[in-house]
Amino acid sequence: MTREITYVQAIAEAIDEELQRDEDVVLFGEDVEEFGGNFGETEGLYEKHGRDRVRNTPLSEIGIAGMALGAAVGGIRPVAELQFADFAATAGDEVFNQIPKQPYVSGGQIEAPLTIFAPSGAGIGAGAQHSQSVHSWLGNVPGWVVVTATTPYDAKGLFKSAIRDDNPVFFLPHKMLSETKGEVPEEEYTLPLGEAAVEEEGEDVTVVATQLMFHRAKEAAAQVDADVEIVNPRTFAPLDTETIAESVRKTGRLVVVDETVERYGTQGHIANEIVENDFFSLDAPPKTIGVKEIPIPLSPPLEQEALPSADRIADGIESLF
Amino acid sequence: MTQKVSVDDELARDFLEEMLRIDVFEEETKERFGEGEIPGFVHLSGGHEGSHVGMGAAMDDDDWLAVGGARLIGQYIAKGVPLPEIMAELYGRVGGSNEGHGGQMHVSDVDRRLYGHAATIGSGQNPAVGLGLAEEMKGTDNVAVTTIGDGGTSRGSFHTALVFAAYWDLPVVFVIENNEWAISTPAESLSPDRLSDYGIPHNMPTESIDGSDVEEVYHTVSEAIERARSGEGPTVIESRVVRLVPHFEGDKETYRDEEAYERAKEEKDPIENYRERLLENGVITEAELEDMVANIEAEVEEAVEFARESPEPEPEAAYEHVYKTPLYGQGDRR
Repeated sequence: MTREITYVQAIAEAIDEELQRDEDVVLFGEDVEEFGGNFGETEGLYEKHGRDRVRNTPLSEIGIAGMALGAAVGGIRPVAELQFADFAATAGDEVFNQIPKQPYVSGGQIEAPLTIFAPSGAGIGAGAQHSQSVHSWLGNVPGWVVVTATTPYDAKGLFKSAIRDDNPVFFLPHKMLSETKGEVPEEEYTLPLGEAAVEEEGEDVTVVATQLMFHRAKEAAAQVDADVEIVNPRTFAPLDTETIAESVRKTGRLVVVDETVERYGTQGHIANEIVENDFFSLDAPPKTIGVKEIPIPLSPPLEQEALPSADRIADGIESLF
Repeated sequence: MTQKVSVDDELARDFLEEMLRIDVFEEETKERFGEGEIPGFVHLSGGHEGSHVGMGAAMDDDDWLAVGGARLIGQYIAKGVPLPEIMAELYGRVGGSNEGHGGQMHVSDVDRRLYGHAATIGSGQNPAVGLGLAEEMKGTDNVAVTTIGDGGTSRGSFHTALVFAAYWDLPVVFVIENNEWAISTPAESLSPDRLSDYGIPHNMPTESIDGSDVEEVYHTVSEAIERARSGEGPTVIESRVVRLVPHFEGDKETYRDEEAYERAKEEKDPIENYRERLLENGVITEAELEDMVANIEAEVEEAVEFARESPEPEPEAAYEHVYKTPLYGQGDRR
């Protein structure tokens, strides 16, 4: 049985079910109690689970992330929210030096089964410090499992797995998708971490895209005269290169679309994996499409200029033929 | 005037023994580092031994220690990590507590509740608050003790940790080992008269003590731990010590005032002072002391032998411990 719910409802359900399932799970972050989160993603959880399990924090990402690390080492499973993914930078040492490295430098003694989640991506006119996609930052630091969500189905299934995983997981919903609806099973389910999904099958070209860009890639696919296969990586780190490579072996062409900045972005890494290991399966050079080398501007026409549009993706696809 | 001994004789002898253990172990570490046997940096504890040992003795085995600051090795010893495991970790060998992945800055021993150290000074305090939260949520009465130097108190993360610990009244004891130097920057240029004053705006109990007196540290930290254990929240303690060693081995210490340094050595060496005190109070005899040192020297020698004989890690071990695999949903965990 399925029903249609929104992406933020899916997130709230995932946290709700995990709070219910495992008494070691605790949710904390700014404004997660009565306020219910900036996008409604924690609505109702405080009323249902109480202040021990759902906790407002003072305004400091350093405290939220650092405390999550210690709490995880101490044997509970923190689910910590940063209100915007950009704020990973305001807890820079915790996010880049401490959380992903403590399990390693301890020689595997320390387990840090924590989840940090933070809305990412551009499109709501939130400006340069509230609109970034940060999975390239995080994916560059070994130790983080970096997960994104494209649909409500993804959001719920992947978030539940993130909470259950024994690694530090950075889960990145996209704020433009908050109110999008999609089918989600009534019954409980999880989706595997570390596995990409072939969302649309096609013969001529592989487009790798997640989050908002997945939806734009679908629009682009409808515009072009080619049979497009769309692969959703779901987990950026560690990356399921095999599913992408398999798709390219079938189609011979690759377009990678992402909201990270093209310079040192995830697009280049994914394309390189194919170039280096499956070069002879390519019939054309891979095309990478992302945010150009600018911060995300605020004014809507400027912001849309910065983001890959369906037209730019369609042009990218066509350039390979 | 002879200073009295405020703890029973056995505990007093334990204090001295543990301080001497740190001293002998570190002297040997310095030698081995000088000979090129130990890679990386080495920061020694000279002058901090009373603070480390008093704090370690005040903690129960189940209390967490999150080490901060740059004086590390003595704290690992005070938390009960076996000397061979520490030495092998300094050597970067397989037999080290972290299998050579951590080294001097990251010795951890989760079974002994040593969280380890945040080598970016000042980033261990928020994890300590998280450890306190975990213990509280699990309904234990265990506490988290976290140390930092005077330099580290300038990091915003330190102040954030105070905010968060106060917000939920968590069982955390913040110990600031103020040795007056952040490498070459003097602590006297920081505004507060006592660095424990940083706890005042958070309405925390604060104490500023002579950290070179092991008994004073023991009593003060014990009281703070007791408060935390009984749900009365966090405490900030400034433990004033002197740094009788360079910042790291190889530091030329050009910033030191030679005369003040000599005076500090004369007046504030925690081991020398305590040795005198126990001898004068008849708690220990010269002969017992000699035996004690001989035993420790043998222990340390064994630790060095263990480290030397422990194999170097295979290069492939560099890829271990990055992720717990398989990830969730990919099959049963190995």
